[in-house]
Amino acid sequence: MFLSRSSRRRAVAISAALAAVSLGVAGCGKSTASGSSSKVLKLWHYEAADSAMGVAWNQAIKEFEQKHPGVTVRFEQKTFEQLEKTAPMVLNSSDAPDILEYNKGDATAGLLAKQGLLTDLSGAVAQYGWDKKITGNIAATSRYTNGVMGSGPWYGIPDYGEYGMVYYNKDMFAKYGVKVPTTFAEFTAAMDTFVKAGVTPLASAGAEYPAQQYLYNLALSKADQNWVNQYQIAGKADFKDAAWTGAATTLADWVKKGYIAKDSVSQKATDMGNAFESGKSPMMVSGSWWYGTFESEIKGFAWDTFLWPGNKLVPGSGGNLWVIPKNSKNAALAEDFIDITLQPDIQALLANKGAVPVAANASDITDPKAKELVQNFQTLQASNGLAYYPDWPVPGFYDNLTAATQDLMNGKSPDSVLSGLQSAYNQGLSQ
Amino acid sequence: MALPLVPGRRRNPDRGYPFFLIPAAVLFTAVIAVPFVMNVGLSFTKWQGVGPLHWIGLGNYQRLWHDRTFWAAFEHNVAIVIAMALIPTALGLVVATALFDYIGKRFGPRTASVLRACVYLPQVMPLAVMGVVWGWILAPGDGVLNSALRDIGLGSLGHDWLGDPHTALYTVMAILVWIQLGFPVVVFMAGLQRTDPALNEAAELDGAGWWRRFWHVVVPQIRPEIYVVLLMCTIAALKAFAPIYVLTRGGPGISTDIPSYYSYQNFFEKTQVGYGAAIATVLTLLTLTVTTAFIIVQNRHQDQER
Repeated sequence: MFLSRSSRRRAVAISAALAAVSLGVAGCGKSTASGSSSKVLKLWHYEAADSAMGVAWNQAIKEFEQKHPGVTVRFEQKTFEQLEKTAPMVLNSSDAPDILEYNKGDATAGLLAKQGLLTDLSGAVAQYGWDKKITGNIAATSRYTNGVMGSGPWYGIPDYGEYGMVYYNKDMFAKYGVKVPTTFAEFTAAMDTFVKAGVTPLASAGAEYPAQQYLYNLALSKADQNWVNQYQIAGKADFKDAAWTGAATTLADWVKKGYIAKDSVSQKATDMGNAFESGKSPMMVSGSWWYGTFESEIKGFAWDTFLWPGNKLVPGSGGNLWVIPKNSKNAALAEDFIDITLQPDIQALLANKGAVPVAANASDITDPKAKELVQNFQTLQASNGLAYYPDWPVPGFYDNLTAATQDLMNGKSPDSVLSGLQSAYNQGLSQ
Repeated sequence: MALPLVPGRRRNPDRGYPFFLIPAAVLFTAVIAVPFVMNVGLSFTKWQGVGPLHWIGLGNYQRLWHDRTFWAAFEHNVAIVIAMALIPTALGLVVATALFDYIGKRFGPRTASVLRACVYLPQVMPLAVMGVVWGWILAPGDGVLNSALRDIGLGSLGHDWLGDPHTALYTVMAILVWIQLGFPVVVFMAGLQRTDPALNEAAELDGAGWWRRFWHVVVPQIRPEIYVVLLMCTIAALKAFAPIYVLTRGGPGISTDIPSYYSYQNFFEKTQVGYGAAIATVLTLLTLTVTTAFIIVQNRHQDQER
């Protein structure tokens, strides 16, 4: 490695700065240990500072510090990957934070809860009344029995939610004379119109989560709440049933018909987003996490969303969780911070920035688009219409689903693909 | 370190050296030996990365034996060895000789150095950046490569290079050749510097053509370099991880999955740490076997030459 002089100087400066920071941090640590008048609440999360969550939680930190004079929140920015790979080791050590954002699901929060690394929040839930705000399927990811979500003590609290929908390009719909479809038949008819005009109707990506969410949406069109529970929680999925067989066959069919581009097999989620933003495809089926991005990035055309036509169930769940490690020295303060994130003003801030708050008052939301997003979510929440995500039932199932969906799109027989998924599912459950 | 001689006692002149091995030995133990032994230990257990360990003896290895994905990954790794060791070594020999013999003599050593630096560039570029750039070049539809093919009237050759299971592995191999080529070229050019030009001239006087001189005069003289390059590239190929991670994540399907990535998936994403450790152990044993075989062959050759 040859560094030019200027970059070498920068490297020295950076390492000096790092040294200073670590010394400073060490200094802080010592001073708090001696004087109990000033306390520090150590908080970790991995949301970008300019995202809806980043903005809202920053505000929550400010409010928390006003409410608790003498307590400083020391925030450390982490990355999703970093926490996913190291949380079990870090939470067991003395470096553990007092509160952190952590991934929902059996393989993540469930695993930590099972190993006794997380604080049981059931007492705080009763005390603050969080179970009035976090209900139905949103609460499922907060509660774990022996590492399996759905029931039992509360270990994590989400303050936002997510759900899947169809984003559509209003200008292109007008241009080709397509109306917003309300039934599955209208949906396919709309796609036929686009294909005839030489346009690929659906933006997708096979190398990451998007394509498997198409598959799951198709399966959900023939599913009910019981099917979801059997698949997600009871570990009793039958990949040869009508829902899965229909979904796999239809997805392969859609690729053949040109509803989904065959060459999206190797594409990543950002490529799908680009295909929609550039007006290449008039529709994109994905989660609410795109909403804020599209609001700030799409200037060239009008767009909106509708729910997958004819489905009572859509992919979706509570967002990632606030969890309190077992070793937290300030559990009570951390619980109070969680409560602040669930207050109406922070919730409204989340909504107006394009996220889906779990407990917002619709009247507090000023942005008309955001209002619709939140109302759709509340409808789904009330009807228990959130069916989680296809990769949840067993750890690492995401990779199996990605590979299986790519195989389907490349023309491998649905029957053999589903057999492969069944054995991976069973293998994962036996771990 | 000059120690005062103690009169009346013959000092063993080699006695002072082991002392200098201590820092490396400590590092080796901490960074390689201890983790290796722990990893082998983990491979006999069923563990999720946190909480209690369950001893299951050879259970992971039995599962590995019947795991079709693992064997498929292994076959792909053979392709990676071809792409990272065999092809770059053969190609590197030709390129290095051409640069040294032809370009260096016709256009001066400076030109040869510049070209050598160009060939070496992919070796120093961060893999993550290369992954993104190759992603753009190979993108289906409007990627650089497909657009270029269309522009020269070969649009029918346009292809979803990394998305078609029949071409994904070959595409990755081609990129790996491009990445890896610089290393053999640089080593071989250094090796050619120390060859005896008189031998070459004598062969030329005897009427040997370029190709025969290359094969019978030049290659035998830089055989040690060839061994070193082959060995290092093979080891690099067996533990290749980053190119697969940034280019394909083992897809489409499992058509580019390799054991190192498969081990990582089990370790971190499937929280099957014991199984991931078993895969890593098998990979390590394989690498050690290959290395040992190489060194034995190399020594045998050198003994013959003496």
